[in-house]
Formats: sequence, structure tokens, C-alpha cells
Amino acid sequence: MKIDLTTRIKNLVLKNPITVASGTFGTTDEYAGYVDPKKLGAIITKTITVKPRTGNPMPRICETSAGMLNAIGLQNKGIADFIEHKIPYFKKLGVPLIVSIAGESAEEFGKLAKTFDGLKDVVKALEVNLSCPNVEAAGVGGMKKQERITDAVKAVRDQTGLIAFAKISPELGDVLEIAGKVLGQGMDGISLINTLRGMAVDLRTRSSRIAKDFGGLSGPAIKPVALRYVYQVKKEFKVPVIASGGISNAQDALEFLIVGADLLAIGTANFVEPQATLQILKGIEEFCRKEKIQNLNALRGSYKPAGEKGEGCSR
Amino acid sequence: MANKKYDEDVYILENKKVNGKYFKLTFRSQKLSRNIKPGQFLYVRVSQGQDPYLRRPFSYFRVSPSKVEILYEVLGRGTSILSGKKKGDVFRVMGPIGNTFTEKLGKKKRILVAGGVGVPPLVFLAEQYPTEYLLIGTKSKAELLPKSELKKVRARVLCSTEDGSYGTKGRVTLLLEKILKDQHPGEFFIQTCGPKPMMEAVITIAAKYGVEGEASWDESMACGVGACLGCMVKTKDGLKRACADGPVFKFEDLEL
Repeated sequence: MKIDLTTRIKNLVLKNPITVASGTFGTTDEYAGYVDPKKLGAIITKTITVKPRTGNPMPRICETSAGMLNAIGLQNKGIADFIEHKIPYFKKLGVPLIVSIAGESAEEFGKLAKTFDGLKDVVKALEVNLSCPNVEAAGVGGMKKQERITDAVKAVRDQTGLIAFAKISPELGDVLEIAGKVLGQGMDGISLINTLRGMAVDLRTRSSRIAKDFGGLSGPAIKPVALRYVYQVKKEFKVPVIASGGISNAQDALEFLIVGADLLAIGTANFVEPQATLQILKGIEEFCRKEKIQNLNALRGSYKPAGEKGEGCSR
Repeated sequence: MANKKYDEDVYILENKKVNGKYFKLTFRSQKLSRNIKPGQFLYVRVSQGQDPYLRRPFSYFRVSPSKVEILYEVLGRGTSILSGKKKGDVFRVMGPIGNTFTEKLGKKKRILVAGGVGVPPLVFLAEQYPTEYLLIGTKSKAELLPKSELKKVRARVLCSTEDGSYGTKGRVTLLLEKILKDQHPGEFFIQTCGPKPMMEAVITIAAKYGVEGEASWDESMACGVGACLGCMVKTKDGLKRACADGPVFKFEDLEL
């Protein structure tokens, strides 16, 4: 039985719902030796900024229970390098590209959006990163003020007609409130939940195990939190949602689909199993075959709420 | 370096303690045993569960037809799990990862400076390629590799222990400096792997005597394929990834 996995985001048609979370799949072909990227529904790039960023000092990574903390700090070579050196690769690859962008100001967000608007043959959507845990101006710190979030997404919307997802996190404040605001400014969808800021202490040095006090927690440890927010946002707004946060296997992926996720962005799992994306895709198909689900949309959003008792834990 | 990469489930043939410090694990893999070169490493998933979740990098110790050995010290959760594995158990391993030490040095004489977890990859280099000296530094005699593991090394093996319980008392860099001082330093090429303070001291001495060399630089990493940018190393040419651009860097390229 052939399962129809086609995933539609407005006018964008993807062959399946599997994509990769920003920053976890390299800048071009790092994973090509292990996994065929052509089989992915879409690719979300590492976040691109206007100017090059060197990121944070080492150590940037430490393992924690069922996950890891990272403090990479949006290291990237900037938009000019991306266009010159990376876009040609993605153009040739032919997989729908979702570019993650982050600005230090609304102007920069606008500039990034405008530039990618001119590359519509390759770039099919934008993910507006409003929630990087590791940078001051562009991330959780700088975006804490909700006006700045609204200004940033407004600047993006003013400059492009590309499908745009706002990537937000509970670190910014009330997720439903912020989602409502950015959708009100014309965002087409929401990407959830980025990493959650956490901390790990080295007993010997009594200092952080990474070069910053806090880092972004990712991996299986955050999955239940991500699942809850994806469910709530889908239920409240019925807009396209890119789900990420600890999706590690087909079971996880199916849970996200059931609560309504449109795209499933595999993140930290790529680091552990380079073939995680395609293994998950295969697992989804196997489940559908077993359950005689011919079209993924029959499963998507089929969650049955826990009933009246569930009301008490809504927000 | 466009060598082939593998990610496979491998069978453990043997996993035993070789001294007070090290375990030696031998597993079967045709592909890895044929393709891995000195300096490269393996990226191991110690269990299929979600905790611990990340893979662990291990330099390989030695290969023989269809067999690969890794030598490790139990330092944390991952190596603790690994030490409990038995013959017939399976684990997942990716590799070979990273670049290699220069194998052929032309007229230069090889000096290997090894410390701690940096010993295994250099021992194999000394078994496979002409080497003048293998210098090994440890804290005490208990951590030195058993003689049986060093018998195929054709180089002169000199040891130092910090507590003086075996060989020269003091740090391994004392041995290095003595050689460079007493002989013609320009004839040598140094390759080093071990704790960062040791490698930094080696690089400083090499610079003092005008000797070239390579160091295997390690940082905490997540992906092992160059994607996450977790394991960056400062070089004269900007930040490089230890896992994909390294782990072996020329002394002159490193910015300490």
C-alpha cells in the first residue's frame, strides 16, 4: 500500500513532512555521506545572519540527561557567503529550502527577508528565528520585549511574500499570546519550540560545563514540552506548524502528527543517528500501513482530547 | 579527504581490562578495519536508549584484518556502559571520521608524544610507520600500557611519570626537550595526542627549536560530521571543526 505523505503548507507542496531543525544538519552536504537529503520533504538551513558571526567560545556542547546543552551562538558566515557558496548547492539538490533568518534589529530581519525574496527559485519559505537561546541581540535576550518580536516579523512581512514561519519558544513568554501576535502581523505559521535554556555545573570548577552560563537544551528531554505547545498552538490557531523538540524516532513523530504538526523537524537526533530523518519517515509509513491509513492527513490532528478533566491543565 | 564513511552495527569480540586504567575492546568490521587511518576516530553509540544520548568519539587503537581495537579509560557514563559490554554484544559505530596524521615523513624522523587517552592512536602509528621515538607520559606506572601492547612498536619508547614511579620523573615534555636539545632538531617531525596542556607545552617547545609537527585536537562534540559547529578549533585561518577539518592540525596553523 502506497501511503500519501504529501504535506501542503499553503501553496507549497512537500512530498513528506520530514525536515531538519535549523542548525542540526550542517550548512550544505555534511550529512550527504550518510543520508540522501533528496528524500527529505524540506530542508531548514542553519540560521543566517546579515553579518558573519564567529559564535561562542568552546566548550559549546555538553551532554545532559536524555539530551544536550549547546551554546553555539549562531556561528555562520553571513548572508553574502550563504548566497554565493550555499545557495548553488541547494539549487542543484532541488529539495524545498526553508531558510532560517535572524537579525539584530527589525531592519536586519527586513533586509534578510528581502534578499531571500529575490531567490524564490530555491527558497520556498522563511523561518524567522526569534528565539535563539545563545545570542544577546538576536535571541531570547534581545527579543524578550514583545514589541521587538512584532517589529521583526512585521519587517519580514513588509519585504516578502514568501511563506514565513515565526520560530518561537516558551523562553519568550506566553507562547499562545506571542503566536497570536506574530500571526496578527501576517506570519503564515509557527515553528516550535526551539531549545529551552538550561544549565550544567562542573563540580570540580564549580562553573558551567559550557562556555556560557546557560545553553539551549535539546533532545528527548524536551519532547513532552514541545508536544504540548504544538498541540496548543494548532488547536488555538489552526495554522501551519513546524514541530521540533526532541523528535527522536517514529513514535515521537507520530505523536506530533496526531496533535496536528504539519512539518516534523528532526534536530538533535541527527547528531546521534545521521539517518534519523529517513528512519523516522520509514517508521511513519510502517505505522500507516499497519493502521491502514492511506493518507497522512487522516492521522494529522486526530488527537482525542482527554475530555472535560483536561480543561484544568490547558494553560 | 574524500574517504568512505560507514555507520554500522558491530559485534564485540572481546572487551577486557588491560591494566589499572585501560579497557581494550575488539570488534569485528571489515569496512572500518580496511579504511581507518592513524589520527582518525570512531563515533560510538554505547547504547540504543535515549540516556546517555550522544555518541562518543574514540580514537582507534589498532586494526588487523576485519578487526578493530579501541583502548579506553572509564571516565564517565558512556565508557562505564561500554566497559560492561560482553563478547557478542552489538553497538553502533560511525567512521572513519576526520583527517589523519601524516604517515610518510620523507627524510624527517618521527617523534611521537603521547599522554593519557592520546596514547592508543600514536602506538599504532609507531607500529605501522618508521618512528624514531615514542614518548609516553602518564601520572604513574599504573596507567602505562602493559609491555605486551607495546611489543610491535619499533621506535625507542621512553616513558615519564609525574610521580617518578616509572621512567623519567616529570612531564613527558622533559623527554622531548632533551632529545631536541641533544640532537639536530631540524631532522625531526613531532606528532602529538593527549591532554591539551601537554600538547600546548609540546607546541611551545617545538616552536622554540623550530620543529614542525601535528597535534590531534579534541573538543566536546555532538554530531561528528561537521554539522553542529560544536567542536571548533581556533586556527590562523579562522575557526575549524575538530571532527571534520581535524582532528589533526599542523602546529603552525593552531592559534593557542
